[in-house]
Amino acid sequence: MSPPKMPDLSTSTKHKYVKLGYQYLVNNFLTLLLIPILAYTALELFRMGPEEILNHLNSLNFNLLHILCSSFLIIFVSTVYFMSKPRTIYLVDYSCFKPPVTCRVPFATFMEHSRLNLIDSPKSVEFQMRILERSGLGEETCLPPAIHYIPPTPTMDAARSEAELVIFTAMDDLFKKTGLKPKDIDILIVNCSLFSPTPSLSAMIINKYKLRSNIKSLNLSGMGCSASLISVDVARDLLQVHPNSNAVIVSTEIITPNYYQGKERAMLLPNCLFRMGAAAILLSNRRSDRWRAKYNLCHLVRTHRGAEDKSYYCVYEQEDDESHVGINLNKDLMAIAGEALKSNITTIGPLVLPASEQLLFLTSLIGRKIFNAKWKPYIPDFKMALEHFCIHAGGRAVIDELQKSLQLSAEHVEASRMTLHRFGNTSSSSLWYELSYIEAKGKMKRGDRVWQIAFGSGFKCNSAVWKSNRTIKTPTEGPWSDCIDRYPVFIPEVVKL
Amino acid sequence: MPRLQEEGSGPVHGFWMSTVGSARPTETGTVHQPTGLDLAMKLHYIKSVYIYSAETTRDLTVMHVKETFFTVLDQISWITGRLRRRDSGRPFIKCNDCGTRVVESQCDLTVDEWLCAPDRSVDESLVYHQPIGPELAYSPLIYIQMTRFKCGGLAIGFSWAHIIGDPHSLSHFFNLWTRALAGEQIYFPKTSDLERCFQNPNSTGKEPVSIKRVDPVGDLWVAPSNSKMTTYSFNILSGIIWKCIAKSRGEPEPVTITIIRSDPNGLKPRVVRNSQMISSVHVDFSVAEAKLEEIVKAIGKATDERSEINKIGESDDGALDFVVYGAKLTFVDMSEVGFYDAKVKDTSPRSVYCNVQGIGDDGEVVVLPAAVEEEMVVTVTLPEDEIEKVKWELKKCGLIKALINGE
Repeated sequence: MSPPKMPDLSTSTKHKYVKLGYQYLVNNFLTLLLIPILAYTALELFRMGPEEILNHLNSLNFNLLHILCSSFLIIFVSTVYFMSKPRTIYLVDYSCFKPPVTCRVPFATFMEHSRLNLIDSPKSVEFQMRILERSGLGEETCLPPAIHYIPPTPTMDAARSEAELVIFTAMDDLFKKTGLKPKDIDILIVNCSLFSPTPSLSAMIINKYKLRSNIKSLNLSGMGCSASLISVDVARDLLQVHPNSNAVIVSTEIITPNYYQGKERAMLLPNCLFRMGAAAILLSNRRSDRWRAKYNLCHLVRTHRGAEDKSYYCVYEQEDDESHVGINLNKDLMAIAGEALKSNITTIGPLVLPASEQLLFLTSLIGRKIFNAKWKPYIPDFKMALEHFCIHAGGRAVIDELQKSLQLSAEHVEASRMTLHRFGNTSSSSLWYELSYIEAKGKMKRGDRVWQIAFGSGFKCNSAVWKSNRTIKTPTEGPWSDCIDRYPVFIPEVVKL
Repeated sequence: MPRLQEEGSGPVHGFWMSTVGSARPTETGTVHQPTGLDLAMKLHYIKSVYIYSAETTRDLTVMHVKETFFTVLDQISWITGRLRRRDSGRPFIKCNDCGTRVVESQCDLTVDEWLCAPDRSVDESLVYHQPIGPELAYSPLIYIQMTRFKCGGLAIGFSWAHIIGDPHSLSHFFNLWTRALAGEQIYFPKTSDLERCFQNPNSTGKEPVSIKRVDPVGDLWVAPSNSKMTTYSFNILSGIIWKCIAKSRGEPEPVTITIIRSDPNGLKPRVVRNSQMISSVHVDFSVAEAKLEEIVKAIGKATDERSEINKIGESDDGALDFVVYGAKLTFVDMSEVGFYDAKVKDTSPRSVYCNVQGIGDDGEVVVLPAAVEEEMVVTVTLPEDEIEKVKWELKKCGLIKALINGE
C-alpha cells in the first residue's frame, strides 16, 4: 500500500502505475467483491443441475399471498424511494451581459482619469497604477457611463440606468435563447450586493416584463461576490417545494454608486478591479426540460466563516476620514480565503471525490493526528473527480492561491484568468462568464462535471458542482463570441503602462 | 485645472468632461511617427465649430453622438493616443487608446440668437481648448465640445492639434462622423509612412521662409507671441486684405506672405495627415502702392516649400520648435474644404467656423466657405494694436460697412 506522501513521488512512472492500480482497486471495490461471489454462485448452480434447483424453489412454499405481499412491498419501497428523492434541478440555459464598446476603459484612460480625479494625491495615483499593472485585467473591461465622467457622476438615476441596461439586456437574451415567456416565470431571485433601491431590483424586473402577480420573488443584497451560488441554493430549495416550476436568477453588481471617490489606498483597490457585468440563469425542475437542459445540479455547499472576527472584518464597507464610502480590503484576505476554501473542501470533498482519494486523505489525516503532525497533508486530487473549474475571478492573487492550493494546471484555471482579463472582476456573475468561456472553447462534453467556487464578504466560500447534460457545440452565442479566437492570451506579470 | 475659457461668465456653461476612444483595442506597442512637416506644425491647433439647427439635432442624444465617435475613432485610433518623446527628444504618438476628451455644455441662447452676431469670433467659446502639455503623456490631442442650445440645436466644436493633420483632415474626419451617424459603413485607409513624404520636383533647396524657428517651448506646446492677438471676422471676399494690411503697416511692408491651401494633387482617398500646401510669395514692389492685378498675379506664382519645411522639421531629430502660421503674414485658403458636407439628417450645418490657435506675430487671414453658396467668410487675426488701422483701411475700400463692436 503506497504511503500518504504520494504527491512528492508521483513523477516516477513506477509509482504512477502503483497509484493507478490502487485507485482502480479502491474505486471499484464493490464490483471487484461481487465478481468472486457471482462466480461462486454460478459454479454452485452448474454443479447442482436444473432438477435440484427446482426442488429448492418448491421447498420454499410460495403461495399467492406471499407473492402478492412481496410484490406490494417491492412496489411500495420503490415508490417511497422515488418520491423522497430530491428533485433534480436542471440548468436550462443562462446568458451573460456583454457591455457595449462605449463603456470600454483602456488602461491609459483609467490612469488619466485617475490622475485628474485625484489631482492632489499623486501617491494614490501611483498606487493605482501599480495595482493595474499587476491586476491581470485587459484593455477591454468596461465601466458604466457615469464613471466615465471627470469627476464621476454617480447619481441614483445613473445607477438605475446601469441596472436596467445590464439586467434587461441579459434577460432579453435569456428569453430569446430559451423561448421562455415572461408570464411563465414562477420564481425570481435577484442578487446585487451594493445597490438596493426601493422598489427592489426584482420589482423592477417584474414591472418591466409584466410578470405574474403570484410570482415568488426575492432580492438578495449585501451578500457579496458569492451571492450567485446563494441564489442558486435558495432556488433549489424552493424548487423542491414547488413541483413543475422554473426559477430565473439574476446575478449582478452595479458599479455606479460604489465607485470610491476618496484617496485611501486599501479602498482604491476595488476601483481597479470591479467592472460591469450581469448574468441571467434559468433553472427548472420539470421533467420536460431534461432534454434541453445544459446542466444538472449535483451538489452545492455553503461555508460561512463570519463567526471569526478576522474573517468578518476582512472585506468591510466603511467611510474614510473624508466621509467617502468605500470597501476596505484587509491584507489577510488571501489567508482567510485559503481557510474558507479548506472548510468548503472538507464538506464537498466526500461528495465528489472517488473512494480512493477519500481513503488517502483520511489516512493522511489520521496519520498526522496520531503519528506525526509533520507529515505533509494530502491534498486530494480534485482533477480526478471534476473536469472543469470556475474559480471566481476576484483578482489575480485569488486565482494564483487556488491554483496552488488545489494543485491545478494552467489549463484548469484558464477560464478564470481569461475572464478576469476580458471582463475584469464582475463580482457574482463572473462564474457564469467563466462557464461561458469553457463552452465557447468547445471543451464542455456530455458527462463533464464543473466546479464553481465563489468567495465573498462575510467571509463566505460557496461552491457548486454541475454535471453537463450534453456536449455543447461551438460556435456558441454569448459574450465571448467575437473574441474567443484571440484567447487564451499570455498575461504578463507586469504590464508596462 | 487651468482652463482657457471662463466658466459661468458667458451664455455657455456646464462643462461636463468625459472621454471617448476607439471600440477595439490597439495592439500593444503600436506607435505613430509624425513626419517633419507634422512636427513643424506642432505649436498650432485647429479650432472648428459646426452649428446645427434644432430641427436637425433635437433628437440627437449625447450617447448617440459618443457612440458614433467610437465607431469613427475605431478606424483611426492613433489620434486617440498620447505623445511621448524618444531619448533623442523627438516626439511620437504612443497608440495606447487613451481617447479624446469630450466636454458637454449648455448655451442659454437659441441657434438663431447665437448666429445673429456678425462677428463669428463668438464661436470660439464653443470650442474647449487646452494646449498640449506640460505633461505630454497626459494631454489629449483632440478636444470635442458639444453645446446644446436653448432651442435644441447642437454645436460641435473641435480643438485639434495640428500635428495630427490639416483642416482638410479634420473636415474629412467629421464628415465621416456624419456618415456614420446616418448609419453608413465607413472606412479609413491606413497610411504607410512612404505615402506621407513629400517629393517636390521643383524644390529649390533654399531655406523656406514660411517657417520661423522659435525658442524652445519644452513640453508646453503653446506658440509664443509677443503681441496679444484678437480675431474679427466679416462677410467679404479676400485678396485685397494684403494691400490694406500693407497700407496700414507702413514700413517695413510685408513683402513676403505665406499661403496655405489644400494640395490640388492630394492623395485620394483622404486620410488624416498634414498635407496642406505651404507656399511662399515674395514681391519686389511696394504692395501698398501696387495695382491689385499685380498682387494677385504674384500670389499665383507661390512656391511650394513643403519638402524644405519637412526637412527642417526633421532636423535635430524633431526636437526643435517652430511657428508656421504667422511666421510671415499667412493667408489660409479653406474655401475648398467640405465643411458643409457634414450633414446630419441630410441637412448641412447652419454655420461652420474654423480658425487656428497659436498664431505668430505677423498675423493670419482665413478664408472659409459660408453656409450660402458663393459667399465667403473671412477671419483676420492680427496683433491688437494693428487691428483698428486695418479695419479702417478695409472700410476705406468699401469692403466692410460697419461692425457691431467698436463702431
